[in-house]
Amino acid sequence: MRIGAAKQSYAADEALFDSRTQRVWLGVLAAALLILPFVASQYWLYLTCLVGINIIAATGLNILTGYTGQVSLGQAAFMGVGAYTVAVLDRSLGTPFFINLIAAGGVAMLVGMVVGIPSLRVKGLYLAIATIAASFILHFIFANWKSVTGGTAGLTVKPATLFGLALDSEFRFYWLMLPLTAVMVFGAANLFRTRIGRAFIAIRDRDISAEVLGISLLRYKLLSFAISSFYAGVAGGLWAYFFRSVTPESFPLLMSIFFLAAIIVGGMGTILGGILGAIFMTLVPEALKMVFGWFPNAAEWAVHLAPVRIMVFGTLIVGFLIFEPHGLAEIWRRVRRFFHLWPFRT
Amino acid sequence: MKPTKWITALLATAGIALAPVAQAQEDIVIGGSIPMSGVFAFAGIGIHAGIQDYLKIANDAGGVKGRKFKYVFEDTGYKPDVSVAAFKKITGGNKVSLYYGDSTAFSRTINPELERLGTIMMAGASLATEINDPKKYPAQFMAGPDYSEQIGILLRHIAKEKPGAKVAIVYSDSEFGRDPVDEFRASAKKLGLTVATEIQTAPGSVDVSTEIIKLRRADPDYTIFHGYVLAPIPEFVTQMKKSGAKSHFMGTFWTMDSSTVMKLGEAGDGFMGVMPYRYYYDTSAKAPMLDKIRQMRPEYQPTPYLQGFLTTMLFVEAAKRTLEAGKPLDAKNLKAALNSIKNFDTGGLIGVPITIRGNSIPVGRIYKADMKAKTMVPASDWIHLE
Repeated sequence: MRIGAAKQSYAADEALFDSRTQRVWLGVLAAALLILPFVASQYWLYLTCLVGINIIAATGLNILTGYTGQVSLGQAAFMGVGAYTVAVLDRSLGTPFFINLIAAGGVAMLVGMVVGIPSLRVKGLYLAIATIAASFILHFIFANWKSVTGGTAGLTVKPATLFGLALDSEFRFYWLMLPLTAVMVFGAANLFRTRIGRAFIAIRDRDISAEVLGISLLRYKLLSFAISSFYAGVAGGLWAYFFRSVTPESFPLLMSIFFLAAIIVGGMGTILGGILGAIFMTLVPEALKMVFGWFPNAAEWAVHLAPVRIMVFGTLIVGFLIFEPHGLAEIWRRVRRFFHLWPFRT
Repeated sequence: MKPTKWITALLATAGIALAPVAQAQEDIVIGGSIPMSGVFAFAGIGIHAGIQDYLKIANDAGGVKGRKFKYVFEDTGYKPDVSVAAFKKITGGNKVSLYYGDSTAFSRTINPELERLGTIMMAGASLATEINDPKKYPAQFMAGPDYSEQIGILLRHIAKEKPGAKVAIVYSDSEFGRDPVDEFRASAKKLGLTVATEIQTAPGSVDVSTEIIKLRRADPDYTIFHGYVLAPIPEFVTQMKKSGAKSHFMGTFWTMDSSTVMKLGEAGDGFMGVMPYRYYYDTSAKAPMLDKIRQMRPEYQPTPYLQGFLTTMLFVEAAKRTLEAGKPLDAKNLKAALNSIKNFDTGGLIGVPITIRGNSIPVGRIYKADMKAKTMVPASDWIHLE
């Protein structure tokens, strides 16, 4: 219980940020994010943009897996659907980026709902296999529907333009990525203050009980797949504008595993978990590269250090799973709790 | 004139006088997104060593016009997004003029950025047909024949060895595997060869029994594998030979490392393939550069090493020609200098003088596995596609 945070209304009880301290820190974070592109190098901006895209996709998966309990290994394929939608619309109709991104989410949503149908009959590992099968089918379509997807060579995408300005550098793209990521994350956070979000949680905790309570499993499971795929589609659309090239091999199964690992490491069933997980999975390999680069004669030892670095990254993930199964979000909560009670109890 | 103005004038003069000297000392930076880990590490480690060795030779010889070469690389794990991150990191911290990329996906992804920057010429591990298009990829090239050209070289050899032969292609269901299939059909038709069958398998698959039956039924005189490093080639070769099939088996560049072919065992005796370079141990002709490599590294160096080595040789040659013409090192000048290379002697790495007209070097030779001697031996002369 936070000291001095007595809630006197339902609105206060439901608020996403329920204390002045939280709002102040959120303001500090927002200010830092606004200043970042002016001080960060091209490399760090690139990584930040990549983190933003991964946060959207991981948050989408968290809605489905973390909150609704439906295991999916199709997130990368749904991203592919979004990316191809953007590429095709951009090339054939030349529609503005915001329409393309919404369409990317919409098409991925429809595909996600179809893929989600097996979730009505199977769950757990069986559902995971069903989503893997779906991603193979989608991959086959990407590679072989040549007239639309360009076959194995894929499609190139022009940079998104805003008021005639091409968002063709990390600095410019950042201003598209940042608000979009913020909207998607706040959207997801708000979702769980609604009946829909709570229905998802009820299904995750005990689907039979949820149905007894009047929650339609058909409707809400498919809705969860739809929302999750929408997030993946938008992330895929952003990905297409960021990398400006979409091929069938851009969205491998390994990428889906990456997102699953991100929400597990970050903390399933928490919005913060998806964010922290995406940051961890994207930045830690780069940070390790930097740390290993500090070793004397690192360039000469690169051949030997590269596999060691990967092992250290793997060990870190295993370590998190063993020592903090609730993920980075739980560590963050513990740190916050310490300060909530400080100095009375440490 | 006031003393301060005198000082300013002196400093300005000194600055102008010293500027060319300072510029002459500036290193020419070669960046690299190198896969030192991940599935392509076997190639990345060799490429890395090849780049380092040629740069040592170039720098020991004094560099170009007093400017030494500096190699800055990052491990990519063969992931395109990590390769792009490496590119951003390296180009952000250095004035890069030349760059080595690790994959087709990276070459494609970074192409708009290369065009936007206009300062970097890039080559890399990708031998994709798509990259061999100077209009679409004006700042890139490859140090060898693209995959379609490799298939063209193989088919030309077949047509010469057995006119009208039945040929089959077995390729992986990947971008890499599907790359030269259209060219295979077109070239076979042009050369009067019959396409016996086309078989697609999963990349790296092991159980290919149904595909082997299909290949056996087609009974080709020659079977070309493309889009694999090794698996499932051993399974195909062993099972086909066991069944008494008389087909000759062939591979393309990434299968053709000596140590990879030797893994085929006895069944691999006579396995052929296209190689753009001489093997490390090939002493069939005079090759001073290979002698130098053998001096620097007495142990066997794989084919990716030779690819990295030759790419760097071409980087250095392009930089040299650009600077000698008194032009700045930018993508346009470097590429024009590269395309001015005519009848260039690679020191025996490639057995014939090379000319680079577009983005590739369409030259290769057929080598054959001699399992008793555990080496690859030349099976043809150098074949040059027009």
